[in-house]
Amino acid sequence: MKFLIAEDEHDLQQSIATYLERDGNICEVASDYIEASEKVSIYEYDVIVLDINLLTGSGLDVLKTIKKEKKNAGVIIISANNSLTDKLEGLDLGADDYITKPFHLAELNSRINAVLRRGKYGGSEIMEFNEIKIDTKSRAAYINDKAISLTRKEYDLLVFFISNKGRVLSKEIIAEHLWGDDSDLLDNFDFIYVHINNLRKKLTAEGAKYIKTAYGSGYKFIDE
Amino acid sequence: MSNKVRLIKKTSRTFLLTGLVLAVLSTIALFFYTKYQLENELEEVLYSTEARVENALKSGKTVGSLPPILEVNEVKSLKDRVLKDTVIYDPSQQEMELFREYSNYRKINGKNYQITIREMVVESEDFLIAIVLSNVIIFGLAFVFLFYFNTSRNLQLWQPFFKNLEQMKRFSLSSKAPLELVESDVLEFSELKNEITTLTNKVRADYENLKQFTEDVSHEMQTPLAIIQAKLDNIINSQEINEVQFIQITSIQKDIQKLKQLNKRITILTKIDNNQFVTVENVNLTEIINNKVESFKELKMSKMLHASNDMLNITMDPYLAEILINNLISNAIKHNNSEEVITIVSDKSSFVISNFGEKALEHPSKLFHRFYRESNETKSTGLGLAIVKKICDLYQFKVSYKFEKMHHFFSVNFSTK
Repeated sequence: MKFLIAEDEHDLQQSIATYLERDGNICEVASDYIEASEKVSIYEYDVIVLDINLLTGSGLDVLKTIKKEKKNAGVIIISANNSLTDKLEGLDLGADDYITKPFHLAELNSRINAVLRRGKYGGSEIMEFNEIKIDTKSRAAYINDKAISLTRKEYDLLVFFISNKGRVLSKEIIAEHLWGDDSDLLDNFDFIYVHINNLRKKLTAEGAKYIKTAYGSGYKFIDE
Repeated sequence: MSNKVRLIKKTSRTFLLTGLVLAVLSTIALFFYTKYQLENELEEVLYSTEARVENALKSGKTVGSLPPILEVNEVKSLKDRVLKDTVIYDPSQQEMELFREYSNYRKINGKNYQITIREMVVESEDFLIAIVLSNVIIFGLAFVFLFYFNTSRNLQLWQPFFKNLEQMKRFSLSSKAPLELVESDVLEFSELKNEITTLTNKVRADYENLKQFTEDVSHEMQTPLAIIQAKLDNIINSQEINEVQFIQITSIQKDIQKLKQLNKRITILTKIDNNQFVTVENVNLTEIINNKVESFKELKMSKMLHASNDMLNITMDPYLAEILINNLISNAIKHNNSEEVITIVSDKSSFVISNFGEKALEHPSKLFHRFYRESNETKSTGLGLAIVKKICDLYQFKVSYKFEKMHHFFSVNFSTK
């Protein structure tokens, strides 16, 4: 997959690129409005990660260019602004998702994958990892073509794990993903264990032992 | 407001009171002055009549008596003259009448005479009534005329003031419409108008600055946090670290998350303060509660029970409605014992949530204050309930807390009456 990271903060831009490139994706970067506008006009991308507050202009204007030129690329807006109006404006203009700073790279990665899976931008609705197959349209999971029954949270967790396969996920990252943005329950992560253990049991029962513990308190979805 | 008086009423009232006092005083003064004048005149008449009678007697004329007006009697000895009031029956009027009587003793041509002159006195009541009556008519007419004249004049005079006052009442920071103040040829009103304009412009500018500042801080803080977080995410994944380092890094991630939440909540509080939530629509709170309860149940954090007696539909900002419900439920979960059931009861106009608690709060009055925490154990932002209070204040909902039977109860009464 080919991504464009339009972000004026160099450190953030590089960090995002590093994280996404680990899956074998190609990441191009744009550091200001002009560069971003040029690149979206000239090249084709699967997903564009677009900061709203670019140094020399608004990311929303880049979004308008993308839509005007009918580029077939998913757009995820990143913004430092919690403002609902910004969010709605972005989505109205045709962005596929919206994420507020600060975010976890795993979360961004999972959102990018979700956008790709909608099938519009060259991704597939089917997610596969060895013998595990997930039909994201019907929200069903299979192991060796045998359907396994998962709760909604377990399903979300499995998709999150596979989207971020090979990466270490701390329980904070997982909690934030499962919880959503509005949680004020920062110190209460015990509930995470319940869901992870249940999912792990269901996968292990079918021989899929991919949820590994990392550094004692983190998790990693990996085939070793 | 109940004991406040309208300006026009107040000036009219003062005018009426002053007029009344003046009317009474002038009536009294006029009464005594008239009475004094009449008495004086009467005495002069008495003296002059007596002098004429005396002259007539001196020139040897016979002066006949005409009682009770004039009596001339020969007496043995002379006495001091007497001036007094006396009451005599008047047959023509068939009533007792008051007379002023003047008796003088004179020795004329060797004879002692007593000359008594009487003059009917105009009764005090009569002319008092006349005075009062004429005063009432004069003052009454003057009052009615002046009152209406003054009131309409005052109304006209104060017109710019009232108009500008109405404009100020309609002043709102969230609306950008300028105040339409009227100019006046009265210096003070003109100054007032200028001061209002300056003041409102200043308030607007400060408000804009504050809004801008909040947005800037929010923006400026989030970007460095995003960089720190992204770098940490890469450190965990791209380098071999040990368990201790991992724990430290995840602990930093937790703090970043905390700062993020804090920032978000401060922004919400500021936005409510700044009246920036202006969307108003009919929100189905029952549905929001059900959804929240479902998602919390799915997370298997607490046992929850929602009893909905009636649909709860409230007119408010939908985003704030979500936050209100979310914060109250989050608060209950946070302080609940995981074995106990959290109960939510909602009906047409209220929402009550209760969770288990060991003991009542020590400072329930501080519960809704920013950054107030009952204990240091919970690492919450300390803004959740402050936001709940802010939202309730914004829409005049009543939020209250009580502790009963080992349970904390939070109630929101949505009826604004």
